[in-house]
Amino acid sequence: MDPIQATHVEGITQTGGVVEAGGPTTDFEVSLESLNQRQLAWRRFKRNRLALIGSSIFLFMVAVAILGPVLLPYDRLDITAVKKPGGNPPSLESIKTIFGTDNLGRSVLVLTVNGARLSMLIGVMTTIIAVSIGVTIGGIAGFFGGWADGVLMRLVDLVLAVPFLFIVLVAARFFGGGDPIIIILIFGLLAWPGLARLVRAMFLSLREQDFVLAARAVGVSNSRIIFKHMLPNAIGPIVVSASLLVAGTIVLEAFVSFLNFGVRATDVSWGNALSNSQGTLVQGNWWWAFFPGMAIALTVIAINFMGDGMRDALDPYSRGR
Amino acid sequence: MGKYFIRRLLGLIPLFIAVVVISFFLMQFAPGGPEQAMKESKKLTNAQIERWLNAWCLEGEDSIVATAKEFGGWAGILNCNNDGWNAFFSEQGGLNFLPRTLGGGDNGILHGDFGRSIANGREVLGIITERLPATLLLAGAALFVWVSLALVIGVIAAVRQYGKFDQASTFLAYIFYSLPTFWLGLMLIFFFAVYLHWLPTSGMVNAREWPPFGTPDFGVAVGKDPLGAIKEIGTHMVLPLITLVAVNIAGDSRFVRASMLDVLNQDYVRTAKAKGAAPRRVYGRHALRNALLPVVTNVGLELPFLVAGAIVTETIFVWPGMGSLFIQSLRESDYFVLMAVIMITSAMILFANLIADLVYGIVDPRIRY
Repeated sequence: MDPIQATHVEGITQTGGVVEAGGPTTDFEVSLESLNQRQLAWRRFKRNRLALIGSSIFLFMVAVAILGPVLLPYDRLDITAVKKPGGNPPSLESIKTIFGTDNLGRSVLVLTVNGARLSMLIGVMTTIIAVSIGVTIGGIAGFFGGWADGVLMRLVDLVLAVPFLFIVLVAARFFGGGDPIIIILIFGLLAWPGLARLVRAMFLSLREQDFVLAARAVGVSNSRIIFKHMLPNAIGPIVVSASLLVAGTIVLEAFVSFLNFGVRATDVSWGNALSNSQGTLVQGNWWWAFFPGMAIALTVIAINFMGDGMRDALDPYSRGR
Repeated sequence: MGKYFIRRLLGLIPLFIAVVVISFFLMQFAPGGPEQAMKESKKLTNAQIERWLNAWCLEGEDSIVATAKEFGGWAGILNCNNDGWNAFFSEQGGLNFLPRTLGGGDNGILHGDFGRSIANGREVLGIITERLPATLLLAGAALFVWVSLALVIGVIAAVRQYGKFDQASTFLAYIFYSLPTFWLGLMLIFFFAVYLHWLPTSGMVNAREWPPFGTPDFGVAVGKDPLGAIKEIGTHMVLPLITLVAVNIAGDSRFVRASMLDVLNQDYVRTAKAKGAAPRRVYGRHALRNALLPVVTNVGLELPFLVAGAIVTETIFVWPGMGSLFIQSLRESDYFVLMAVIMITSAMILFANLIADLVYGIVDPRIRY
């Protein structure tokens, strides 16, 4: 078991000791810690080994995204002579050849390292947009209910009526124009319905809880109830699905760019780093597709591990363990 | 039950209309638009272009009324041979949106007229009927493999919780759940087709020996050598199938495990064990049946992902189905094929969800409609 955890509840600290008259003295030694929810969550997160592994991989990828383009900048004209059809296999000759080259002689390492920035940026920005819309719409629908709920949920149904990938691909093909900002907007404006449903469901149940009733009875304003009382209680699942959305968007962008409907060829993302690599598979070139894809897979695994860790950590009912 | 079914079916109508409207506007706002695309097509004859411009009320105007008219003509509600309010009526005098036998018209998607492919001049509906069986075959096989493997893995993992199998399957599920589908496909192609030469790289049949799948010629060839056809399609289907179901099996085996564990901790399972029922009976009859309920719902909810997966998989493996048709027509800006694929697939998913709901009602006797 853990050392005694004292939870801090509005100025009352539970202690293991006995308070005697004539001054607070304890009759046995206890280690006392007063932890708020955030510290408790962090403590639970730290105990999850997979979550820590995931976080370190993720931080490594973030570091690659930030430093990669500085240390190994991508230059379209920086190509080595291709000695083998399909591209040179990985070799330890120099840093740029350890992942081999593509059929044009571009270094796969440079492509992979430079793709990180755009892929992660698209993943994170899309998620920010989708979460903002999803939480707003789901929150309004769940808190106010009634006709607002009806209208907004029909809107959700409408967006979900056509399979997501169809709309995303059509929009990216006809309106994307290879611009990462437009790609982010397309993804973000289409990815929110799942979150909206989640937030709505949580708000519907939170709305009926006693502490919300109490807050309302005291005369707290709606916006304060939403932001101060209800949202913090819903934050766990929102954070978890947001992290999964980052991972999902990275994969989505990779597929869209792989098909050449996504980011333009002059920018590098993990997706267009390996687009056109399918044609060289039959020539024995596995490394071109392998390494950028591996970067995607590692990042997604890392985010999924972190998401799982956060799910357990942010659940206030999962104590200890 | 019957009443519920009809109510749900009616509830699908607004959603289906939404699908049609969304498809229409995607086509409208795409650069160039259908009118220009048709006129630029080298594969369509002038008579064909005339016919569709007229049938779909395409006049090249951008006003709201003109757009609404275009929608009406394209959907088959309006008959643009007539002017004004008469456009609602067909040549036969009946309301235009009715089937032809009831006095309706014959234009628009309501009457099965999806237009012609701009890329090759063929009728859209013909292309789709050629492509649909391949997708249904792949998706059906995928659904079967997906559900049965997820069930088997999940149940074994739950029954032997924290055992070796459980830990191994948990680990693998984590990995496979995170792999990008298209990349998994590429890696499988390289390893099993290019490197080991065990399986073909792509396609559904060997194009040198077999006519294209879905064509009448293929039907004749199958008649001559049915076993050969099964073997041919089977070997071509292995890799796409793995690619398509890997993510779903990974996710759902965990889900089955959790659902099964939930049930195994229930009192009635303990009672069954205590009264001396054989493990097979406890797990099979008492536990699994109840653990299936959330699984059925989940599979129903995941059906759209099967479509997304099919787009990815069919593109990578050049499987001649709806998914690769979608990507192909997207590349060629073949609007009419594109919209038909989106509409038909969306309608199928809406309907499949309805079926999943009904199955849920059958599996769970507590559900009252």
